[in-house]
Amino acid sequence: MRRALVVLALLVAPLAAATAQSSQFGVRGLGAPGRALSTRAFSAGGAFGLFDGESGLNPAALGRVSALGADFTSLQDFRHVENPAGSASVREARFPFISIVGPVKRYPAVLGLSFANYTSRDFTLATVDTLPLRDVPVAVFDTLSSRGSLSDLRAAGAYRIHDDWLIGVGFHVITGSARMNFHRVFADSTNYQSLNQGSELSYAGVGLDLGLIRNFGPGFSLAATVRSDGHVNVDKDSLRAGTIDLPYSFGFGLRWRARPKLELASQVLMHTWSGANSDLLAQGGLGSDNNYEASFGLEYTPNLRRPARRPLRLGVRYGTLPFLIDTGEQPKEFGISAGTGIRFAQERAGVDLGLEHVWRSAGAFKERTFLLNLGVTVRP
Amino acid sequence: MRRWGGWWAAVAVGVGIVTACQERLTSPAECPELCPGGSPQVFDTIVSAVVGADSSFPSPADWASGGGYVNRGRGTALLLSNGFPGSEDRPVYRFAPRSDQIAVRDTFRTFTIDSAQINVTILARDTLVGGLKLFLYRIPSGVDSSVSFTGIEPLLGPASLLDSIVVPDSVHTGTVSAVLDPTEVGRVAFAGTDSTLAIALRMTADQPTGIRVGSLTSSTAATFTSFVTVDVPDTGSVRHQSISRATAFNTFVTENPLVPVDSLLTVGGEPSSRAIIRFGLSREFLDSASIVRATLELTPVAPIYSLRGDQSLIQAVPVIGDVGAKSPISSDSIAIRQGTDTLPLVQADTIQFNVTRHVQVWQGAPDRPQSIFLRMGPSGEAATFARAQFFSTRSHAADPSVPVAPRLRITYQRSFRFETP
Repeated sequence: MRRALVVLALLVAPLAAATAQSSQFGVRGLGAPGRALSTRAFSAGGAFGLFDGESGLNPAALGRVSALGADFTSLQDFRHVENPAGSASVREARFPFISIVGPVKRYPAVLGLSFANYTSRDFTLATVDTLPLRDVPVAVFDTLSSRGSLSDLRAAGAYRIHDDWLIGVGFHVITGSARMNFHRVFADSTNYQSLNQGSELSYAGVGLDLGLIRNFGPGFSLAATVRSDGHVNVDKDSLRAGTIDLPYSFGFGLRWRARPKLELASQVLMHTWSGANSDLLAQGGLGSDNNYEASFGLEYTPNLRRPARRPLRLGVRYGTLPFLIDTGEQPKEFGISAGTGIRFAQERAGVDLGLEHVWRSAGAFKERTFLLNLGVTVRP
Repeated sequence: MRRWGGWWAAVAVGVGIVTACQERLTSPAECPELCPGGSPQVFDTIVSAVVGADSSFPSPADWASGGGYVNRGRGTALLLSNGFPGSEDRPVYRFAPRSDQIAVRDTFRTFTIDSAQINVTILARDTLVGGLKLFLYRIPSGVDSSVSFTGIEPLLGPASLLDSIVVPDSVHTGTVSAVLDPTEVGRVAFAGTDSTLAIALRMTADQPTGIRVGSLTSSTAATFTSFVTVDVPDTGSVRHQSISRATAFNTFVTENPLVPVDSLLTVGGEPSSRAIIRFGLSREFLDSASIVRATLELTPVAPIYSLRGDQSLIQAVPVIGDVGAKSPISSDSIAIRQGTDTLPLVQADTIQFNVTRHVQVWQGAPDRPQSIFLRMGPSGEAATFARAQFFSTRSHAADPSVPVAPRLRITYQRSFRFETP
């Protein structure tokens, strides 16, 4: 386990900005929520997340891991954004999820550490306006940018009871920062000087989650999880700016091996982000609402003797996003995904690849994005 | 083969992901939906100078006794004009004495003057006005700094005319010469013990205009050269020599000099004046505002005239320490460049100086006095046609409702309110 911690530290250290996909739907509130999924679960629309020990949704799922391993995930986002101000194509690369998991010797228990993106606040917004200055209309070009995120550091453990029951508990430290910058340039730059102003927001909070998996034989399982994140303290340039209530989260999933080569899964996650609504409104935001995500996925294994060799994963999901950008409508998203993977070096290393096409919208605000997820697994 | 194909595919995917890692995050946005923190408003305010704390130097009393920053004739140019609306000016040169003997082979010998030449340097003229002609008059050799326009003008008659110089329209700057041949050289002859030549200049042109001519300060003053035949038996260069005399004193006289007035702010003139204006912006304002533009607005009492093609500069320079007339001024090149304004041909309405940098310095340095010094450009003091008098906090226009006191117009915005979270 100590070796595992060293590996995790080496993986996490260079990742100053490890976040998931950002979007215009992450501009308000705490940002775009992340998904603590391995590439395998990502490829199936997240449907296997509650059963996947390499993902971070359910601490009980750690109990399905039989050997020490580390997972490293990168995400490339190619996005087309549309809103009343225009459209743009943007892209970014992030590292949304890292985990290291290993069983405890002589005990039916598994421990794990993970680093996941909780919400992402990476964006750069450009606006154009005309202001009457000294009785003359002057065009101004504003750029508001944010770089940062809330990260979810989890220490969790799971315990197996006769292979029928898996129970788990996780402790979460939610921390991070967002460096905000406002830049204004006047079209009449001869007479009007540009402005540049920065501020840093930092966040700190803790959470706890419990998980359960019930196996009804090798072909069918149910999973459930509940999580409470309490609240997060928000400091602005080292001064306390406020407190935001974080949600309770509930998850329920099922997994069914319909055929020896075909495994199906589905899950529903719900977050009570409406608890943060009053805090956000009090601080000048647009508020938040409860959100959910429902997903369905499958994994097809062509070769049962080598199940980790190029399985086919497909998934679909639909959900809502918690933070409003238009008071009239809650943002929603729909995604379809596919992926595969390969293990090599006597299954001590592996690469998984997932691709998801996501549509998000809220009124006139829309975006389409391709998410390319690459996962690297190492089992020392 | 399939094994290698898989590896190549994996490598290709890896390379594709790595090379696609270039970020491009900027997207358009519309407020208020995508403007966390809102869109900052811009405000405009006018701040008057501290009443009674603005003044110009020298005071009228000191000016009357000859005090000032740059005295008449000590500037980089002398003024000459004819009908120019700004002023009527006559330059005066007094050359070094010319002895009536010359040393040749350790022996002083007499000489006879064959011809003479007077060179005058034109530093600036209105190139759109043609027909420029300079007239050189001989004036009494005792001329000094106490000379006045009324004392010089009557002397400039036909009887004292030495020569005239027709300046071609193609000559914009440079040296022009008046040559006195043997029949005219008697006009610069000396009588008795007087061996000093002094001259004054007048001019004519197709239109009322003025020119600026060289001075001692800029090493461009007029020169007086005599071509002589020395009384020696030799021939050649020893016998035929030239005696050159540089300007020993120069000045110019003005028909209506700008006289400082206590209730006004005087900038320029001769001796040159400067003005200091003090403001009292509150710390609360300076600490909370982001200045995007600040202009110092001054209303001239009378139109300020400049020579076309040779516009004058007037500067608003931040003060480092406010000790009055001799306050040290900032050498901040950005502030000086920003605060320098080129005057148009006729500046009749409010003049505006960009003092954004000045006010920003006040924001960052609370100990810095909120004072601004006004002066003519460094090469323009006592050497330019532009002479300015502005209303002060102690004066008002004919219509009292029209603000004419020195004032700052500041365009600013409050700090952007980043939305938390």
